[in-house]
Amino acid sequence: MASDGLSLPDQIRQLNDARVLVLGDVKYYPSVVKSILPIIGPASAIELRRWGAEFLAEAFATPALPNGEKETMQPFVLATLESLVENEAEDEQVLRSVIQTAASIYPLAMRWIINNGYDTVTWERMVGIKQRILRTWDQAVPSVKICCIKFAQRVILAQTPSSGAESRYGGALDVSLDKVPPNHQSLDPGHLEAEGMGLLDRMLSVLHESSDALIIDATLNCLSILVRTRPPTANRIINALLNFDPLRLVRSPITPKVKVTVRSTEKTTRLLLIHLAKRDPHNPIVPRIQQHVERTMRMVVEALDETGRKRALENQQHDGLDAKRQRVVPEVVIPPLGPGPHSLADIFSLTETLGLKTFDISQVPPDLITKLAVTTLARIEPQLLIKATNAVRSRLEIVASAPVPELNPNTAPLGVDDDDDDYEPDFFQAEDTEQILNKLDSSPPPSNELATMDAALGLTSFHLPQPQALTPDMALSAGNETVSRVLDLVKSADELSARKIKAGFTRLAASSGVKEPWVTTLIRLATRSEAGIEETTIKGEDESIQTQSLGAHIRDVLYGYIMEDFRKHIDIAVTWLCEEWYNDKLLAKAGDNFPMHYEKCALRLIDGFLPYIHPQDKVITRFLSELPELNRAILSRVKIMCRDPSVVQLALTSLLYLVMMRPPVKEIALDTVQGIWSDYEDARPMAAKYLSKYRPGFVEEATRQLEGDGAVQSTAAPIAT
Amino acid sequence: MEVENGAAAGGQNGTDAGKGYKLKFCTVCASNQNRSMEAHLRLSQAEYPVISFGTGSLVRLPGPTITQPNVYQFNKTSYDSMYKELEAKDPRLYKNNGILNMLGRNRGVKWGPERWQDWQIGVPRLQHASDRGSEGTEGGVVDVVFTCEERCWDAVIDDLLSRGSPLNRPVHVINVDIKDNHEEAHVGGQGILDLANSLNAAAGKQRDAVGAAAFDSGSASSRASFDEMVPEILGAWQERWPNLPATWTLAWF
Repeated sequence: MASDGLSLPDQIRQLNDARVLVLGDVKYYPSVVKSILPIIGPASAIELRRWGAEFLAEAFATPALPNGEKETMQPFVLATLESLVENEAEDEQVLRSVIQTAASIYPLAMRWIINNGYDTVTWERMVGIKQRILRTWDQAVPSVKICCIKFAQRVILAQTPSSGAESRYGGALDVSLDKVPPNHQSLDPGHLEAEGMGLLDRMLSVLHESSDALIIDATLNCLSILVRTRPPTANRIINALLNFDPLRLVRSPITPKVKVTVRSTEKTTRLLLIHLAKRDPHNPIVPRIQQHVERTMRMVVEALDETGRKRALENQQHDGLDAKRQRVVPEVVIPPLGPGPHSLADIFSLTETLGLKTFDISQVPPDLITKLAVTTLARIEPQLLIKATNAVRSRLEIVASAPVPELNPNTAPLGVDDDDDDYEPDFFQAEDTEQILNKLDSSPPPSNELATMDAALGLTSFHLPQPQALTPDMALSAGNETVSRVLDLVKSADELSARKIKAGFTRLAASSGVKEPWVTTLIRLATRSEAGIEETTIKGEDESIQTQSLGAHIRDVLYGYIMEDFRKHIDIAVTWLCEEWYNDKLLAKAGDNFPMHYEKCALRLIDGFLPYIHPQDKVITRFLSELPELNRAILSRVKIMCRDPSVVQLALTSLLYLVMMRPPVKEIALDTVQGIWSDYEDARPMAAKYLSKYRPGFVEEATRQLEGDGAVQSTAAPIAT
Repeated sequence: MEVENGAAAGGQNGTDAGKGYKLKFCTVCASNQNRSMEAHLRLSQAEYPVISFGTGSLVRLPGPTITQPNVYQFNKTSYDSMYKELEAKDPRLYKNNGILNMLGRNRGVKWGPERWQDWQIGVPRLQHASDRGSEGTEGGVVDVVFTCEERCWDAVIDDLLSRGSPLNRPVHVINVDIKDNHEEAHVGGQGILDLANSLNAAAGKQRDAVGAAAFDSGSASSRASFDEMVPEILGAWQERWPNLPATWTLAWF
């Protein structure tokens, strides 16, 4: 060796020059590496070992040297690496570099053994180094430990099947389990994968076990490529990340170091998660990641950042110049009452301030005063109020107990008058009642009268003029007017809110919009308001009497409203009739003699809109199916509808719907169809179709009968002519 | 043997063996113009190995109005040519807003702005020998990256995660938040140098101490290593520089 005779600094200098050479041209790497190996062994000086290990780490890391070169170079260095790593007392700098080198070599060595199955010696050596590093992992100092973590990451990377999607990395990052042939003589894929997963769990355990930010950051920062290129690891890693709580590292007291570590781990986790979410934006876990990131960020800021927070209470109290004054009970000085005479205001004025005293509170609107008084009374200090009340009380006592020489006209100083010129206190009843009343009349309004003690404090009573007696007619017309106005409101709401909210069965009678509550109110007013107090039906009662009631008026109004556009208002019609029906049921329970409205209203409505029905008006089907009760009378109207051949189809479909969907009225409906068949010849073919299905035999029988009748008729006809 | 001899013969000038241990630094800002270059200069003046980058997509310098910036490509335009171009355009404007002054300083430091994302980490940087602070960075790797803005720190970390850490080499990435103006850059440069000194002192001490300890007791496992001390050092530094909020992580090249 050339180095034999040289001093240590000279040797280092020589080595540095060799390094400059290979940096300049990577093709010298193999020969330089081979030539330095003998001088960096475990027996060499620490400076040489450090230099050598660092150089090896650099040689196997540099992207300048092709991986093929590195792969053929690695079998030669493994022995040196093994001897260095096996040295229990090895310097940590050396150890770091050796483990870094091993991490770079591991995938290369694996690729080597995959392609050169005979060279088990090299692979054994690599496995030996791996075992040694994984053993060191737990006891090593942190700066060595992070390199062990990185080594484990490379082992996992090499021993897990890849996604195949990202092969752009090239080189050692692409060595993965799927490169191992299933029947390889010295590699067992199952075993390798299990080992990889075990190492991954060991790596991730750091996140909830370690409190060292260095270790946690080192782990976090090497997870990205695993998630992205090794799908079997992704879920495990992301779950570990989502369960990682940076606040776990918060220690009290919060030293600058604690702040640095907590912020560091939080930020590193956040960036990693955002990085992963950004590269796989369609993954269903992404929203959860975002949520987690935001929440953790907030929590950490709250835990650490006192700049965003308000100052603590102590700080405020330290400085005497604080802008905020402390709340103290103000010292109230009750000024003594001066020499009389005193107005009522004087007695209640507990302030000396002239401006306040002369303030005319009657200028302030009463509602404002009320508000002020209420809030003031609510917030006033109780002691203060008691003190003030006592002060006023004692003043009143003073005034009351004071001799009243002023009031004695005999002793009253001449020329000194009371405030009230018009009123002379006269206790001798000098004037008669009439005169006093006159004076009172001409005196200022009562509020001013309160201004003096002398004035009468009694309140005069005020009576509202008696209203006109309300006749039932007036009440009714007022009621009718109100109803009309409500209807106007409904109409305007009609125009405003075209869209409907479909609440289905959860719908309440008056829960949505403007229109619906009012319609419901109107309907109930019509049906319920007079229920039971209406005159019981007397047979032969005149119709005109009933129209007198409010309910009847509302019914008219509702009828008119529905008929304005029955297609649009059919739902209101149904609601109305349901309410009528319900009310009828209630009344029927109460007694028999109350007038029943349901059928009447239903018939009126049907009669109202039937003439206007078009063949396309499905509303009739809906209307019929939604009516709470159907009877022959109502269905007879449907039958009458068939006078118009164009709506026969509609009428029959509606009836068929009833037959199918409302079993209780099935028979009535079928009877109606039968009736249609009998009465309207145009409708026969269609009616026959339905009848043949539901009333088999009827048509034939009826036809036969009819033919018999027809024969009679045809024979009769000539007689008639 | 041959190679070694040849190297020894050709490398007589390599004299940094006696200077003591130096951490290798990298400074990063958006355009590799103001903050990172100020820090680059400071660190190189303190004889640290240092390189610098920008994380933006383009180099943007203020123009006559806010909507007319001067935009250049990274790695393609030298500070010198920018200087000459702007000087020809409007010498008064660019002198008054400090741009010419800044470019003048930068062209004395290195050739031109480099983009972080285009940096081939670990590829030898021998062609940068004339850059200030290049000595020690020939290997194309550093120990500590200083970014000057949270956004740049994020970009650096995201880029390192994307690269997949093929080099297996740990690197401390520290953000020191500096506002992008000349005054703040000046203060920030001082802050970064202070932090670099603290970090380097710890690293050097550990290297020496561990060496001695290794000789004496044969084991150094009880001693706090440099990497471990970074949070502590940064916390203490933050107390000294409360106006330069810092973030740190340990990433991988």
